[in-house]
Amino acid sequence: MDQPEILTPPPAQVVRVRGFVKQYKQHIAVSGVDLEIHKGEIYGLIGPDGAGKSSLMKAIAGVLTYEGGTVEVFETMIDTERSAERVKQRLGFLPQGLGLNLYPDLSVDENIDFFARLRLVPERELAERKARLLAMTRLDKFRARAMKNLSGGMKQKLGLICTLIHEPELAILDEPTTGVDPVSRRDFWAILAELLQERGMTVLVSTAYMDEAERFHRLSFLSSGKVLASGTPEEVHALVPGSMVTFEATPQLEAISRLKTGCTQVEALGPVLRVFTDDTNPVSAAQAITSYLGDIEPRQLHVDKLDLEDVFVALLLRETDQPPPSPELPTASVSSANHSLAIEAKELIRDFGTFRAVDRVSFQVKPGEIFGLLGANGAGKTTVIKMLNGILPPTGGEGWVAGEDMKTAGGAIKERIGYMSQAFSLYLDLTVEENIRLFAGIYGLDRRATNERFAWIVSMAGLQGYESSLTVRLPMGVRQRLALGCALVHQPRVLFLDEPTSGVDPIGRRHFWDILSRLAREEGVAILITTHYMSEAEHGDHLALMYAGRIVAEGSPAAMKAQVEREAGQLLEIVTDQPGLALRQLERAGFAGIALFGAKLHLLSRDPAHDEVRIRESLASDGLRVLGAAIRPLSLEDVFVHRVMALERRDRETTKGAAA
Amino acid sequence: MKPADRLVVWCRRLTVMTRKELVQLLRDIPLMAFLIYSFTLSVYVTGNGIQTQLRNAGLLVYDADRSLSSRELVSRFHLPYFRFDGELIHADEGFRRLDRGRSMMVLDIPARFHEALVSGEPTAVQLLVDTTNAPQGLSAAGYAARIVGQFGQESILARNGLTASSSAPVPMIVSDHRVWFNQDQNETWFESISHLLRMITIFAVLLPAAALVREKERGTVEQLLVSPLTPVQIMLPKVVAMTLMILGATAVALFGVMQPIFGVPIRGSLALLFSLTALFIVATAGIGVFASTVTKNQAQVGMMTLLVVAPILLLSGIFTPMETMPAWVQYLMALSPLRYFIEIATGILLKGVGFDMLWSQALAMGVVGASLFGFGLWRFRRQFQ
Repeated sequence: MDQPEILTPPPAQVVRVRGFVKQYKQHIAVSGVDLEIHKGEIYGLIGPDGAGKSSLMKAIAGVLTYEGGTVEVFETMIDTERSAERVKQRLGFLPQGLGLNLYPDLSVDENIDFFARLRLVPERELAERKARLLAMTRLDKFRARAMKNLSGGMKQKLGLICTLIHEPELAILDEPTTGVDPVSRRDFWAILAELLQERGMTVLVSTAYMDEAERFHRLSFLSSGKVLASGTPEEVHALVPGSMVTFEATPQLEAISRLKTGCTQVEALGPVLRVFTDDTNPVSAAQAITSYLGDIEPRQLHVDKLDLEDVFVALLLRETDQPPPSPELPTASVSSANHSLAIEAKELIRDFGTFRAVDRVSFQVKPGEIFGLLGANGAGKTTVIKMLNGILPPTGGEGWVAGEDMKTAGGAIKERIGYMSQAFSLYLDLTVEENIRLFAGIYGLDRRATNERFAWIVSMAGLQGYESSLTVRLPMGVRQRLALGCALVHQPRVLFLDEPTSGVDPIGRRHFWDILSRLAREEGVAILITTHYMSEAEHGDHLALMYAGRIVAEGSPAAMKAQVEREAGQLLEIVTDQPGLALRQLERAGFAGIALFGAKLHLLSRDPAHDEVRIRESLASDGLRVLGAAIRPLSLEDVFVHRVMALERRDRETTKGAAA
Repeated sequence: MKPADRLVVWCRRLTVMTRKELVQLLRDIPLMAFLIYSFTLSVYVTGNGIQTQLRNAGLLVYDADRSLSSRELVSRFHLPYFRFDGELIHADEGFRRLDRGRSMMVLDIPARFHEALVSGEPTAVQLLVDTTNAPQGLSAAGYAARIVGQFGQESILARNGLTASSSAPVPMIVSDHRVWFNQDQNETWFESISHLLRMITIFAVLLPAAALVREKERGTVEQLLVSPLTPVQIMLPKVVAMTLMILGATAVALFGVMQPIFGVPIRGSLALLFSLTALFIVATAGIGVFASTVTKNQAQVGMMTLLVVAPILLLSGIFTPMETMPAWVQYLMALSPLRYFIEIATGILLKGVGFDMLWSQALAMGVVGASLFGFGLWRFRRQFQ
């Protein structure tokens, strides 16, 4: 057969890794990874904590020795410190952790100057690049502010500037978006895309979040030090044929248990069920699901393509060759659930000095409901939780938790709530059993109750076999379930979860959510959860979005999406061969709010049919081809970004108006 | 809840939290190694090594006389106090040797020294002493003066046909002293006891402070604050656990090193000693609790401990007696629990006195400790508001 593309030269390789092995004492972190990164692409490493992403990236950046295989960067073998030094000038490396490479007491300006001078950037170029990058990141107003006073998203953008100030040919970014709010994340990707386009930079970036995978040109999915899949997102998709069937069904728990007899992935998102089937034909896929359900009638049934996350979960399940852990929620003697509200906040206010962190926040959570509190860092979520937990007295307003007034009955509230924080707050130097027994004692359980709850937690969280392991040695997913178990030791009626799923692998995350929805549905526990990972917020029954201390939008995930669709239109996805150029051409033509996802462009359109024609015309005039256009369902992330951007715009206009 | 139930729950909380602290401490290998070293090897080395008495002072001699008398005088500077470092050929070489610092003193004996003594003329010897280390230098000079004086007296008596033993007809005052409590004047006893007290003080501040700040550092304190524990219930178990730990270490030092190796006597009541040691640890722990409220991580706690503990150790009367310090330091040190505990510990161990003699010290220590502890607790509560 002829090869029609024989004229295109093979892509220049920036990085070539063969059979890479990294060992930490006895522990093999990475075993036999191959990787090739072409010039000018964004290459993604995806995988949970401990998959080996950081080790691989550090070795490529020349800051970590390794035990086996070869690492070539810019055709230089990175095997000694001297050879690593030879390519370092052409590299930029952003280590993991929010702003960890920056100096907290230096200002934005001083941090950038320091990194530029370290890299011997000429002063004139420095001034020009700094101005451009600061404008792109919208940090130019904060030049004199000390780094430690920036928000998480701003710190990470500053970290990116400092990594890129010497215009490296290869940027290595280790989990740059972990802990960053959706709007800052979108900014972050836009900056990368633009630099890629302008300077022909190559980027290697890692993330623990599967929903970012669509942004990469090519990617490798790592798990326990091995590559499970790699290629373009389309190629990875092709590895797992199948489709995702979503529908509502009642009673939900009965539906789930029927589906689990035949389906490997069943997930409950609030009232909605998502079920994976390996059938690609929509009609027969739907039929298969209906037959499992028997006499339960599915409502609003859709058959969709798989998300990359679904693909990864399927690959992981195939790899581990284990049935998905199905949490047995052992029955516990439930105290008579009263049907009043679990949480009620009325006009809550909290001031810190002159700064109003929480401004007249009101909401209600019913028993058995999963309530999601969303918002960027500093929006006031944590302050609301602290007030409801009785750690922080409110400046104004009132609230009731588990039937008690938070102003007068702080002690009683603490006995009735469970709380689990981002850090999982376990004692890492204690064993699983010691942790559980400690918290049982703290909540005043006697020996019999402690033994009973210990058994319940072990079976609920699937901790069998881990009882006497030190917590520090547990995988993140197990640690997370242990923390949940400790928070549930005294059978609280209300559970607070503050960003509970960072760093957990997709299967672990699904297992965790399985437990949560069972707790809510079966035991009637009210759950309040904060997160800025929007794929997670889809699990909530009811969501409230906070911005600058206020609740600015509220409703079920579906209602929130529908509202944005009514206000701003549907999500139009354009696939083109030169997305970077296309993005700029369309912005010149007057389209606003376009986001770049790998080779695709996303924008909201009130009149998709008409806009599609306009876009095709506009791009054609520039000689750019449109390979495809489709209307995609809105994600909660789109909702979040749309809302927050609109509010930020309004704030800017009012401050401008005030200044004028 | 009934009050009795409430008490049961309160005790249960205290027990589980205390057990947790002990388990965590036992698993903290570097800290445990430091603790064990401090109460065993370090007590042994310090007890053996630190000597405030004059030992091995290097002596150089410039003997211009080279006579019977000069050799007799030189021979009286002997070990263990003085070490003979050799004779000088030239007098001015002495300064160079002192500058170099190997030797501590130069004894310069003039020509005609013997003749003068025999003929009954007045004569003098010169002694050059390096007093860079003032206490050692001064005591060397004092010893030397006594030796020379004694030698002079004896030569006078000898000239008059008398010997030191048959000095009866000459009127003179004989000073005779009797040593109590430590008859052998064994310095090892006091040095090892005072080192033990130093270690107790350091760990009484460091351990609770480190345990509290570790909870802050790792974010686990957040979890404790949303639980029904009160600040006292968070803090108290740490103090209890650390007190038990330090008491254990003290027993190891006392019965494992000081008593069998140095023969330190334990003359008083052991029960009294350990209960007052516990009181001292709790009193001092208040400082540690305070330190934990003004620091963010373990490294800062380490430095803070050094900063707070150093003046307490230096000025509470272990290294130098309280009575020699300026009045304001004495008033300030009334706030240091260690100031009272030194007298309690030496009193029980060496003098064998009981509570009837020590109650005022114990009371003062209790009052100071209660105020320090109260202050620490107040700071600890406040930081979470």
